[in-house]
Amino acid sequence: MINFSNVDFTHQNGVVALRAINLTIDRGEIVAVVGENGAGKTTLVRHMNGLLKPSRGIVTVDGVDTRRRSTAQLSRKVGIAFQNPDHQLFSDTLENEIIFALKNFGFPEETIRQRLDWALNFFGLEQYTKDSPLILSGGEKKRLTLACILAWDPDVIILDEPTVGQDAIQKERLAEVVKMFKSVGKTVVIVSHDVEFIWPLQPRLVIMSAGRVVGDGPARDLMRDRGLLESARVTQPQLVQIHAELKASNSHPFVDTLEARKYITDMVKR
Amino acid sequence: MHWVAGGFVFRRVESPFHKLDPRTKLLISLEFFAISLLAFAIIQVAIVLASVLFVAVYAKSLKRIGRTILMSAGFAGFIFAINLLFGVGLVSSLLYALRFLAIVSSTSIFFVTTSPDELEHTMKWLGVPRDIVFAFVTAVRFIPVIMLDAFQIMDAQKSRGLELEKGNFVKRIRNMVPILVPLVVNSVVRSGELAEAMESRAYGATPKPTSLYKLRLSRKDKSVMLVSLLFFAAVLYIYLRVKVPV
Ligand SMILES: Nc1ncnc2c1ncn2[C@@H]1O[C@H](COP(=O)(O)OP(=O)(O)OP(=O)(O)O)[C@@H](O)[C@H]1O
Ligand SMILES: [Mg+2]
Repeated sequence: MINFSNVDFTHQNGVVALRAINLTIDRGEIVAVVGENGAGKTTLVRHMNGLLKPSRGIVTVDGVDTRRRSTAQLSRKVGIAFQNPDHQLFSDTLENEIIFALKNFGFPEETIRQRLDWALNFFGLEQYTKDSPLILSGGEKKRLTLACILAWDPDVIILDEPTVGQDAIQKERLAEVVKMFKSVGKTVVIVSHDVEFIWPLQPRLVIMSAGRVVGDGPARDLMRDRGLLESARVTQPQLVQIHAELKASNSHPFVDTLEARKYITDMVKR
Repeated sequence: MHWVAGGFVFRRVESPFHKLDPRTKLLISLEFFAISLLAFAIIQVAIVLASVLFVAVYAKSLKRIGRTILMSAGFAGFIFAINLLFGVGLVSSLLYALRFLAIVSSTSIFFVTTSPDELEHTMKWLGVPRDIVFAFVTAVRFIPVIMLDAFQIMDAQKSRGLELEKGNFVKRIRNMVPILVPLVVNSVVRSGELAEAMESRAYGATPKPTSLYKLRLSRKDKSVMLVSLLFFAAVLYIYLRVKVPV
C-alpha cells in the first residue's frame, strides 16, 4: 500500500529529518509511530500523501511514485488529520467544513449528503450543524477535523497526535473508531506519544529516533524492550510495567500481558 | 513560495559585516540609499549597485540580497514600462527602474544583516518610544511565524483535496479563501494571546525597565564608519563635479 525505499529527507534549512527509511505498510495494518520530539514522525507521515517528496529514495502509494501525483490527488486515498485544527477550519458552518473535501473530489450530491449525515452523527456534532466551527471547544474542533477526513472514506487514515486535548471518553471512542477501521480493512497510521492509548490497539509499532526507524514490530514485543524504548524516550505502558514487575517477583499468574487486565480486574473484585 | 518566504527570515551568518554595530550598518545603508537616490546617470546607478553587491559579498549575503533584487525586478519592470508609456525617454526610464533596484538593495543591506534584537536596540537608541519599538520588532519577528502558519494551512487544505496549482485566475483566487481565513483568524487569536501573556509577565509595570545590552562602538566600527563616510563624500563630489552623459 505505502512503501518507503531508502528515503532520506533534508529540510530546506539543512536539518536532516529522515535517514535511510525502509518501510512497507500493507493494507489493513494498524501502525503506531512513536519516538522523541523531533524524531521525524510528522515528517514521515507527510511523505505518505506527497506533501513532502523524498530528497533521496522513493515513496510509493499503491505502486505510484508520490512525485508523479499532486497531494490533492493522493489525498483521495490517504487522508491525514493534522494536529492543529486551527490550521484548517475556515467555513461558515460545520456542514460546509465537512463537505469541502467531498466537493473537491467531485462526489455526487447524494453521496455527499449521506456522508455528511454519517460524519456529524458519528462524531456527535449534529447539534452544531449550522454553527461556525470557530465556536467549538478545542476537543470538538479536533473531532471535527477527524470528521472532515473520514467523511470521504480514504483507504489509509493517518492521525497525527489524535488524543491531544481529548477527554477520557473521547479517547475511548477514538480507540473504538480505530478498531472499527481495522475491522473493515482500512489502514491506519497513528502518530502519538500516548502509549496508554496505543497499547490496547495492539498495533504494529514503528519506533523512530533521530530520523531513523530504530524498531519495527508488534507492540506486544517491542513494548517490553526497555532499552529500546528509553533510547527513543518512549514510556512503557503501565500494564507492561506491572507485568514485568510481577514477573520479576516470581509471582506472575499470567503469561501474557493482555491477561494482566483480566487478572487485575479479578483482583479488584476479590 | 518557500523561496520567497525565506527572504523575510533573518538568519544569523558569521561574517565580519554582521559583527559590526547595527548603527554602523545603518549608516552604510543610509549612505547607499542617499547615493542611489541622487544618482542621475545610468553609469552612476550601476556603480552604486555594484558597490552594494560588493558589500553583500563581504557580508556573505549575496544570495539574500540577490533574491530581494529579483523579487523587486518585477516592480522595476513596471516602473520602466509606465515611464516609457508616458513618453519618458528610454534611457531615463531605465534609469528610474535601476534606481529603484539600487534603493531597494541598499536598504535591504541593513535589514538582511541586522537581527531583530539589534533592530530593537537601534530603535531605542534613536529614541523611538518603547511601545512603538516593541510593536515594530514583534511585527518583524512574526513575519516568519505567519509564513510558517500559511504553509501549514496550505498543507492541511491540499490534504483535503484542494488543488492550489491548477485552474484559471478566478479559481485560484477562490482557492485562497480556505488558506486566508484560518491565517487571519490565527493571527488575530495569536495577537490576543500575546497581549495577555505579556501582561501576565508584567509588561509595562515600570516606566523604565532594565536593559541588559548596551550598544558599543568598537574601534573597528569607528574605522568602518570613517571609511564609508569618506567613500560617501567622494561619491557626492563626483556627482557634483564630474559630468557624465545621462
Ligand atoms: N518546516 C521545517 N523546516 C525545517 N526543519 C523542520 C521543519 N519541520 C520539522 N523540522 C525539523 O525536522 C525534524 C523532525 O521534525 P518532525 O516534526 O518530523 O518531528 P516529530 O517526530 O513529529 O516531533 P514531535 O513529537 O515533536 O511532533 C526536527 O528536528 C525539526 O526541527
Ligand atoms: Mg510531530
